[in-house]
Amino acid sequence: MSDPIVVEHLTKHFEGKTAVSDVSFSLRPAEFLAVVGPSGCGKTTTLRMLAGLESVSSGEIRINGVKVNEIRPKDRNIAMVFQDYAIFPHLTVYENIAYGLRSRHVPNIVIRERVPEAARTFRIEHLLGRKPRQLSGGERQRVALARAVVREAELYLYDEPLSNLDAQLRHSAREDILALHRKFLRPSIYVTHDQSEAMALGDRIAVMRGGKLEQIGTPDELYSQPRNKFVAFFIGTPSINLFEVRLEAENLEWFAVHPAFRLRLPPRIVRKVGAYNAKKVIMGIRPEDFSTPKTAAFPVDEHNTVQGIVNVIEPMATGSTVYLSTAAQPAVDFAASFKVRLPAQYLGKTIPLAIHVEKLLLFDADTEESLLHGREEAHYAVSG
Amino acid sequence: MAQVQLDHVSMKYTGPDASVQPALHDVQLTLEDGETIAIVGPSGCGKSTLLKLIAGLETPTSGRVLYNGHDVTGTEPQQRGVGMVFQDYALYPTMKGKGNLSYFFEVHQRTEAEMEQHVREVSELMGVGFDVLLGQMPTTLSGGEKQRVAIARCIVRRPPVFLMDEPICNLDAKLRERTRIEMRRMLQKYRVTTVYVTHDQQEAIFMGDRIAVMRGGVLEQVGTFDELYFTPANRFVAEFIGTPPMVFLAVHKSSASLNLNGVGGWTLPADLAAQLPDGALLLGMRAESWAIGQGLAAHVSSIERIPTQQAAFVSGSLGAHRVHVLVPLDTPHTAQIQVMPQWDKAYFFEPTGERVLLTPAIPDLF
Repeated sequence: MSDPIVVEHLTKHFEGKTAVSDVSFSLRPAEFLAVVGPSGCGKTTTLRMLAGLESVSSGEIRINGVKVNEIRPKDRNIAMVFQDYAIFPHLTVYENIAYGLRSRHVPNIVIRERVPEAARTFRIEHLLGRKPRQLSGGERQRVALARAVVREAELYLYDEPLSNLDAQLRHSAREDILALHRKFLRPSIYVTHDQSEAMALGDRIAVMRGGKLEQIGTPDELYSQPRNKFVAFFIGTPSINLFEVRLEAENLEWFAVHPAFRLRLPPRIVRKVGAYNAKKVIMGIRPEDFSTPKTAAFPVDEHNTVQGIVNVIEPMATGSTVYLSTAAQPAVDFAASFKVRLPAQYLGKTIPLAIHVEKLLLFDADTEESLLHGREEAHYAVSG
Repeated sequence: MAQVQLDHVSMKYTGPDASVQPALHDVQLTLEDGETIAIVGPSGCGKSTLLKLIAGLETPTSGRVLYNGHDVTGTEPQQRGVGMVFQDYALYPTMKGKGNLSYFFEVHQRTEAEMEQHVREVSELMGVGFDVLLGQMPTTLSGGEKQRVAIARCIVRRPPVFLMDEPICNLDAKLRERTRIEMRRMLQKYRVTTVYVTHDQQEAIFMGDRIAVMRGGVLEQVGTFDELYFTPANRFVAEFIGTPPMVFLAVHKSSASLNLNGVGGWTLPADLAAQLPDGALLLGMRAESWAIGQGLAAHVSSIERIPTQQAAFVSGSLGAHRVHVLVPLDTPHTAQIQVMPQWDKAYFFEPTGERVLLTPAIPDLF
């Protein structure tokens, strides 16, 4: 079976500016794709082109093999959920949910069956007679979702549907969206600026920046094998810590050297960095790859530790996130996540931290591309 | 810097505004000198009204507002001299970043040297690149940059108390993360007494030395994260602090057996059974309160894997109840999962949820 949704070289120009530039991807049947990126990265424009709400400057969109570039939105058989819900204030909840069916001349007998069913899925069957202004934000959001499920579409699109909700509501709304997805198992695209939402929902995630698609992959791929510095930084909260280091080969061993530390690189990484001896590179360390020396799952020595001054301790249910600066000058800020609660008495103190060097990421200082991606180079030793 | 006290403060609105302005009922709160209190609660809980009372923008219907023990209830906002930072920045649009910071010193006729020193100190603390912002007009700054200037403008004049109303909710997630670290460090360094209003519990936990949870104009509980998380006063506080939110199961206790309607039961340890009354109870379970591999079968609907926490959350149902269960990151997706409360991590409430009966102790980790 070929991919139901195919986007090829999609480009959009607005008044001389390029909002979306040569974006290509495809969705498998029943796949849930989350699209993330900072404001202005082109993610919403991409979604709106798929929905037919924006024209396409060049490139092609195919839904189940049919090119839809020139097809009007209402003829595309797409269901969309908007950030501001876009429900009609003058219609009851029932009529809002029924709207898409009525406009497609679905017989009343079917509407009477489907509307309550969709309402039940989102626990709003008791609200069918109300007007939107009598509803809370969470309830309005569920009306918008019910309206999307009430009819079977070939593609479901979500434009930041949860960003107006309180944190506690967002969690249950996420489950509602997954429930909707499992009901029809149709391709879905979900746009958000919140990477944790994307990680929780997406089978795969597409990361965009400046109109370009930076990387597409499973949450785990993006997290552990980011293609470049931007993707590494964008995925994960707290963000990955980035340090400018110099690589040095010495007596068959390689080190990443920084005023605050001198880390011995593991063979997995050494095999990839042969061309970078005595060069500056960007090193990434995820906050969760720091630990207190006593709790480290590996032997700790001077070549995998760093001294940090504790600035802020954030308690979490699963431990704590600690924000530090390197003890060595110039001070560089970084974050470490612990499985235990760091007591407040350590505020302002200098503590040693063990670094899980197997998990380090390295990026070219100029191109910002990952050095660890792709083919392994032949390992050649450089004598010091 | 000042200690700020709200002494039995109530606020009632009458007339056309009554329905839109959240009231306050008998609020008692003391902010210690240099402390940051984060106020959280759903929309309409009265948190912004509380802020206006401290600033002097509203006068309470009854009760007193005290700064360092002095009654300022009738004092004008200008005389109180509080620093406020809002969602919408409110920078002087015709001045560059630096003008925004130094305006106060010009108005109050302080010396140029004093102004320069304060501005330099704050801009050093605000971190890399802040001095660049000082030379720019507000219209050319991004949202995050504007807010950094707005915050610096407040800090630079050393207000007795600093009031912040959702200052970073307009920023996108990554920028929020960085800005809140800057703010927290700055507040810690200057020890400014601060009230920080937010609807985001994680932000409240990050920013506050203590957290105050409000609902319907009532201060439900004030305490550290640990106090609220492990010893909530009632169901509302328990549900508000922690993600995924605590799940509440209506159970029935008869001697040592605890029954979940239509699903089955668990056996309580003897010492726990003795501490709880028989009859209807509300069992509060956090995702990490469950033990897996024994007990009742829960139907699994999805698994959310969170590599940054080295953990995964199972969402599922136990009979008609939705549950969230914390499991190891590599747990496979199965149709069912056996679950049982870890009794020392479970919470018990009266059936209404208004009063807590038993909570876990605050863990002693060191």
